[in-house]
Amino acid sequence: MNGNELVKLIDTTLCTACRGCQVACKQWNVLPGLRTKQTGTYQNPPDLQWNTWTLIRFQEYEDKDKNFTWIFRKDGCMHCTDAACVKVCPSGALYYTPMKTVGVHREKCIGCKECISACPFDIPRYDKATEKVYKCDLCYSRLQENLPPACVKSCPTGALTIGPKDEMIKKAYAKVEKLGGDANVYGDKFVNGTHVIYVLQFKPEVYEELAVDPKVPTSAFIWKDLLKPLSLLAAGGVVGGSLLHYFIHGPHRPHPEHMDQDNKKQGGV
Amino acid sequence: MKKELVKVTSLYERFVHWLMAISCLLLCYTGLGMMYKELNVLGVIFGGVGGLKTVHDITAVVFAVGLVLAILMWWKEAGIFVFPEDWEWIKAAGGYLWHLDHVPETGKYNPGQKMFFLTVALFGLLMIGTGFFMWFPSYLPANLVDWIYPLHVFGFVVIFAFFFVHLYLGTIGNPGSVSAMISGYMEKPVLRMLHPKWYKEMEHEGTLIVKK
Repeated sequence: MNGNELVKLIDTTLCTACRGCQVACKQWNVLPGLRTKQTGTYQNPPDLQWNTWTLIRFQEYEDKDKNFTWIFRKDGCMHCTDAACVKVCPSGALYYTPMKTVGVHREKCIGCKECISACPFDIPRYDKATEKVYKCDLCYSRLQENLPPACVKSCPTGALTIGPKDEMIKKAYAKVEKLGGDANVYGDKFVNGTHVIYVLQFKPEVYEELAVDPKVPTSAFIWKDLLKPLSLLAAGGVVGGSLLHYFIHGPHRPHPEHMDQDNKKQGGV
Repeated sequence: MKKELVKVTSLYERFVHWLMAISCLLLCYTGLGMMYKELNVLGVIFGGVGGLKTVHDITAVVFAVGLVLAILMWWKEAGIFVFPEDWEWIKAAGGYLWHLDHVPETGKYNPGQKMFFLTVALFGLLMIGTGFFMWFPSYLPANLVDWIYPLHVFGFVVIFAFFFVHLYLGTIGNPGSVSAMISGYMEKPVLRMLHPKWYKEMEHEGTLIVKK
């Protein structure tokens, strides 16, 4: 797998919500489990956390005809090709790996939280104790050794698979065709393609906490591509202009009229 | 010959000026080190990029204090334009862009200085406001947080560029003016050139303090 552009496919229609992936993720990445409260759902913990990089979201869904479905969706980093988090990260802590996934150099993270608001999928989480941000890195350490990510390895139903990009996208579309109805592939069409894609049974807007139109925020372009270079350009222009002024126009110097009478006699400046 | 010196600033004024100047420059330094990955190396003296953030946060508090003191101290003198005399000065660009025999006379602060004060005051408040929410983003609705970053950088674009104008006009662009912020005294001819009306007012009111 090393060096190839990889895509992880999450086929939500095959997921049984065993949550083996959630546990395997914690195990491989040595992430503690924190005590939570029963809130009337199997979804636990209630949301992604600094120590929970992937989470099965449980959703009870009834369509117009009162057909009930219990939706299970594995949430986690989508590993965007145009990742807003990498764009705004000031320290290079978030970066593109050679496999085009989004890795984290934790030691470089300064805990500025800029990635948190930029991420269109609401993935990065901040830990107050270490003052750093955490998220899934698609088990980069495993990928480098030609091993599948821990979640994929643990999945007993084949809902999670990983492989070369083209192959996986083809596989996803084949499945969608087989499913018919509202089924669709989610992930290959925005932010220049994500490296985690879904086969969804229903339209994206049905799913809780799933962005319908994810994109790098406009504010990030204004910030990073316009104002950031402008700051040095403007300052450079002023410095250049000042020097030009100094040599062409010259500095302000007092005229004889500004001198006192006794100073005038001596010629002044 | 030794020139006559006139007292133009108090110790307190100079203290507030340098409190703001030093904190502002440190904020520019640490901010640039964080904004440009290529300048992350500026963090070396603070133990890394994380050090830049720590220093930036602490310095911001000092700057905020300095800014409040500066606004309280200077807004009456430098925050309000007086017409028509300030307008005459603006039309003449203060005599800086083309040669004039006579630059229109203004009060203690000319409109250029007032513009700089107002820019620092307003954009400084913008920097503190946006900076606060950059520090504590969870206090703001998520869809607004995205916009505080470009606003903060916009403030930097304006302040950083205007700083160099201030630096130039306060030093080599107006020889003899920099001592106002060091010793607090200016040579009489320079003062009479730059602030003729204020000089006459002080002379008239008998508040002129001259050191020979």
